[in-house]
Amino acid sequence: MTTASTAAPTAEVTEIDATARCPLLLLLGFALLWLLVSGALALVNLVQLTTPTFAAACPVMTYGRAQAMQESAFIYGWAANAGLAVTLWILGRLSGAPLRSLNWTTAGAVFWNLALLLGLVGIATGDATVHGWIQLPRYVLPLLLVAYGAMAVPGVLAWTGRRQDTTFASQWYGVAALFLFPWLFSIAQMMLVFFPTRGVLQPLIAGWFVQGAWTLWLAPLMLAAAYYLLPKISGKAIRHYEFAALSFWTLLFVGAWTGGRHFVGGPIPAWVATVAGVSCALLLFHYIVVALNLGGAFRPAGSTVLWFVGAGLGAYLLGGVLDAVTSIRGVAMITQFTHFSTAQTQLAVSGAFSLTLFGAIYFLVPRLTGRAWPSLSLIRGHFFAALLGTAALVLALAVAGLIQGREQNNATVEFSAIAVHVKPWLLVATAGQAVLLIGNLLLAVHLLRAVCPFRQAATAPATFRQPPTMEASVS
Amino acid sequence: MKNGLTFFLGLFLALALAFTGIVLGSHAQLGNLAPYYDENEGKAFPERMPGIAARGQLVYQDLGCAACHTQQVRRPDFGSDKARGWGDRQSVARDYVSQAAVQLGDNRVGPDLATFGSRPLAVDADRLAKYLYEGHGGMPGYPFLFADRKIVGERAANALNVPAKPGREIVPTPRAVALVAYLQSLNNAYEYPEARPVEPEAEKKEGGK
Repeated sequence: MTTASTAAPTAEVTEIDATARCPLLLLLGFALLWLLVSGALALVNLVQLTTPTFAAACPVMTYGRAQAMQESAFIYGWAANAGLAVTLWILGRLSGAPLRSLNWTTAGAVFWNLALLLGLVGIATGDATVHGWIQLPRYVLPLLLVAYGAMAVPGVLAWTGRRQDTTFASQWYGVAALFLFPWLFSIAQMMLVFFPTRGVLQPLIAGWFVQGAWTLWLAPLMLAAAYYLLPKISGKAIRHYEFAALSFWTLLFVGAWTGGRHFVGGPIPAWVATVAGVSCALLLFHYIVVALNLGGAFRPAGSTVLWFVGAGLGAYLLGGVLDAVTSIRGVAMITQFTHFSTAQTQLAVSGAFSLTLFGAIYFLVPRLTGRAWPSLSLIRGHFFAALLGTAALVLALAVAGLIQGREQNNATVEFSAIAVHVKPWLLVATAGQAVLLIGNLLLAVHLLRAVCPFRQAATAPATFRQPPTMEASVS
Repeated sequence: MKNGLTFFLGLFLALALAFTGIVLGSHAQLGNLAPYYDENEGKAFPERMPGIAARGQLVYQDLGCAACHTQQVRRPDFGSDKARGWGDRQSVARDYVSQAAVQLGDNRVGPDLATFGSRPLAVDADRLAKYLYEGHGGMPGYPFLFADRKIVGERAANALNVPAKPGREIVPTPRAVALVAYLQSLNNAYEYPEARPVEPEAEKKEGGK
């Protein structure tokens, strides 16, 4: 077991961390708040799938509106805030100097989250737009874009003012995410909301945006964290690092072309789906290199941070393979328009992204606050709840989707019968979501205790293994 | 990757290429797609939606109906869409050219609605309104689209045939009326030159025998 220590070694908490404390903790606080909101709404959604009458008489909670709210709260609330907090910190650390102009981040974060709140109220009252991942009402979208720009300023300054010529994979991914999202987001706003294109070009561009938001924004944010944490914690160089750059550019150049796989057989030019299928296969190269580079995370050796990173990485790799498989026409015929697609999305965002970011948060917060996490059992509890919850959610949705897809292709099976057949699996998914929500609640409570230690003198075990690695760990 | 400018240009190029290929590429192909003018019928297809149906589409959008219903019929040999009576042909890009907000949808918790207006359920507006009020199959009812009001004089002509408290009636609000009109308008049976059904090979052979 670890030795107790309530004060972080000064060598580990540098000026870089100290100056970034308040803005980044603010981002993390917002992130966890939205994660809980989104988790609760997702639970409502899943209950509605098995009990359609649940909250149905309440106009703000129709299935469609709750779905739009939970998705927006997750992507723009949890993922954006947490991803930016972690990436800004990593960029600061790797630039070798304290982050500058952090007031921009604070101001941006306040406006970003206010805009998001306004957006969710807008969705609840019927102002949602129609396209996935950009369902927030039109009146908050420009504000989000400006606020994002403000939040990213210190990251850009850290990149341009870096003190060494050599750059690291974490920086590439982080900087790519910072720069590419605003471009992507502004194109989507223009072409979908403010000056909408005609006909099926709308869903096509929306599909391109969703895929871009994943491969050019969220996945890079997650990989920036993973590429930073693994060598830092394990103390070993990344294996086959020489391929990392090629893998990075493969993700960037090929990733955004894979969005059309959802349109197999749809009223969209067939080449879009074909190109997407080929791109999915090409992208496997990226996943192989990531597996080679970061495979060490599967041997966490007592590091709780690496438990999370390893689990997230596993979800990321599995997701890549599933994307390629479901882009094949014969498979898509069964899986498209079913809960299987939802399972894939959850595998990516709740599995790959969230789990990795949880690991990063467990690594980051002690360095920001200068104090160890108060409780190791809370971290363990969160890990098992998150892993079990995500696995149950994704697996159950996937099985439900396969049943749904097979029966939909059999015209003799009524839709009401399909609903009955998938119900047990949707109940498992509901339970998984509930466990996930409880786990995330543990993290929120824990973060609150770590930031505001009411009982600092209490006998809470500190969880540092040794000075250089300030993560919570068992040895 | 020591050169920041090259790196930045690389990022830009990555996004620009995908944008050019997918967005501009499909725009070049479909951006000028126009309704198809049929000289025999003397009008163009798809026909424009009546105003009330266009308002109904906004109700469909704000309630998030597309979370459970797709509006895209797959071709006969790809899934069971034809066998389910959702239309003899696949949906094509031209079907959507006059829609303000295209909601293809991505999950079929409920049936596809692209050709809903041609189904028996859609013919009778009162019956459809009742389904929306009470729910049907796995779909919940949406009672907030209806007003429960006191009967003044005679019972309203469009009052729903559902149990109500004595002296009261359930009538559709303008939103419900618009939504019903929209659902009834969802019908595009017109066969565009590019939309002729693709029959599976096996069926063709059997037909030839």
